[in-house]
Amino acid sequence: MKDDGQPVLLFEQVSKWYGPVIGLNQVTLELRRGITGLVGANGSGKSTLLRLATGQLKPTLGRVTVRGVDAWEWRAKALVGYCPDNDAFYEDMPGREFVAAMARLCGFEKAEALRRTEAVLERVGMADRADRKIGGYSKGMRQRIKLAQALLNDPQMLVLDEPLSGIDPIGRQEMLELFRGLAAEGKCLLVSSHELEELEKLTDHVAILTRGRIAAVGTVTQIRDMLDDQPLSVRIDVHDPRRLATLLVNRLEVVGVELEPKVLANGTHESLIVRARNPRRFFEDFGKLVVSEELDVARLEPLDDTAHAVLGYLLGGSGKT
Amino acid sequence: MSRPAPSPHLLRYRTLNTARRGPWFGSVAIARSSLQLLAGRKMFWTLYIFSLLIFLLYFFGQYLQVFLEQRVSESLVRTGGVFGRTIRPDFFVNMLRDTLRMNGTADTYGDFMWTEGYIVMVLLAFAGSAIVGNDFRFNSLPFYLSKPIGRRHYLVGKALAIAVLVNAMTTIPGLCLYVEYGFIDTWEYYKNSTRLLFGILAYGAALTITLTLLLLVTATWLRRTVPLIMVWTAAFVMSRLVQRWLVDGLGLSPRWRLLDIWNDMYLFGQWCFGTNHLLLRPGNQIQPEYREATAVIVVVCLVCVWYLSRRVRAVEVVQ
Repeated sequence: MKDDGQPVLLFEQVSKWYGPVIGLNQVTLELRRGITGLVGANGSGKSTLLRLATGQLKPTLGRVTVRGVDAWEWRAKALVGYCPDNDAFYEDMPGREFVAAMARLCGFEKAEALRRTEAVLERVGMADRADRKIGGYSKGMRQRIKLAQALLNDPQMLVLDEPLSGIDPIGRQEMLELFRGLAAEGKCLLVSSHELEELEKLTDHVAILTRGRIAAVGTVTQIRDMLDDQPLSVRIDVHDPRRLATLLVNRLEVVGVELEPKVLANGTHESLIVRARNPRRFFEDFGKLVVSEELDVARLEPLDDTAHAVLGYLLGGSGKT
Repeated sequence: MSRPAPSPHLLRYRTLNTARRGPWFGSVAIARSSLQLLAGRKMFWTLYIFSLLIFLLYFFGQYLQVFLEQRVSESLVRTGGVFGRTIRPDFFVNMLRDTLRMNGTADTYGDFMWTEGYIVMVLLAFAGSAIVGNDFRFNSLPFYLSKPIGRRHYLVGKALAIAVLVNAMTTIPGLCLYVEYGFIDTWEYYKNSTRLLFGILAYGAALTITLTLLLLVTATWLRRTVPLIMVWTAAFVMSRLVQRWLVDGLGLSPRWRLLDIWNDMYLFGQWCFGTNHLLLRPGNQIQPEYREATAVIVVVCLVCVWYLSRRVRAVEVVQ
């Protein structure tokens, strides 16, 4: 897929009001190829953002474009695939018929619609089960059918709202593989999910939404680095933790040093927990320190640079979404 | 999913711009899938068979009337054990021509479409939630609206499906009867009855537009089948009883008959057929003016359009 330097999805100072309630507040967002996770608490504006991105809503202010075309236009929608959260289908319709109907809705001739239907059903692993009525499908099968209809138009951008919900662990792995494959083809995937652990397996590039605003966009590490007011906690397993604590405590980046509460049988501490600002500089300095002081470091483990922790800091809570 | 992962090139299709049609094609696709959905229900076929029976009654009734009038010269016809072994053809001719009006006149087509309209009304009451209501009730609209179509195309698609139903049971059979009567009468019939042809098309159009808009409004508003049937019944059956009670019972102005939208459409149809207002049947009921009935239909349609435009905008609200 060509990349002409133009972003696939572009939000320019977008606001969306529902009467007196603001759903999205001056959001600017630029997405290119690859997978981006969209995270945020309930009511943070995720659904509004996804609906604006898929052209289902018009922004009150600002502009949303897909490859330079207004997202509201049908030409832009032709570049987008959307897998919604809800799975309210025509229960009496077989899955294959539903996907074929959606293909016709995309504007494809009958033969082409049938060809694409078979291709996408094969790709999501539903080809052999698609003749059953949707009413008899499990949650996971419904997810696959939803994904199939989103892939029909070979979209440049795929918007997935809770795509892993209800899928068993093996199915999840298959779905994650499928998403990675689509990203490898050069597609732009915007994945909204409350399941941060699964999302982290898929991508480390996230957009965090809170109260209708984009709080941060980037890799989890980049976002974590920017959180100066929330020092990074690092656990260091070292032969002599007390000596290391003495060496670290004078460093500018280090704001706290704590000996691990767990005490070994011989009375010594096993490890040290360091809280440091500006993690990148800290790790550079720490590397030099280890070499110069010939420290015997067994393990180095950042404790709060996961998406969950980052989200917790940004949302000011537990990070639960 | 035990099969090996398919090739990532599986979805490499040809260039998008050459492979697809515009958004209006999507409306046709919506109409088609709605009709498919309906065709899978037994209720639809039961009501359709009823409608077909009415059509066959008129179809063979017209043929019988002409046949008896022109071919049977005897005053009594032996029928075996039926009708007391013998019947008088002129009795049947009079019944078919004067009572049932199966004689290729404005009354034939007006009465036929009026009667078929009742079946259509019942069918639409049941079909409304399946065609439109469920999309709003289960919030399925994102599936449609994320595809390369707009809200307008969605509504047009649904309206198209309803229009196909209405026309398949009123206008098209009406045209068939018109063509049939020309065949069993003389070719001159077509030449002399162009007004009837216009009437069939215009009455059919009025039924189509009004019923389509009313169904879209009630289905998007109520969504579920039972409330939809109740409101639909109130609109078409209760209003008829009320207008009769007000005009025939209390002796109020015939304008109160305008409450009955079904009657208004019938009056509009008769106007298009060119029927003299004084000869409207039943003769003992004074009817409001044709233009008044037409005005009511126009107002109802405009209100429906206004509601739908508001409703379409309201779809934006995330519930």
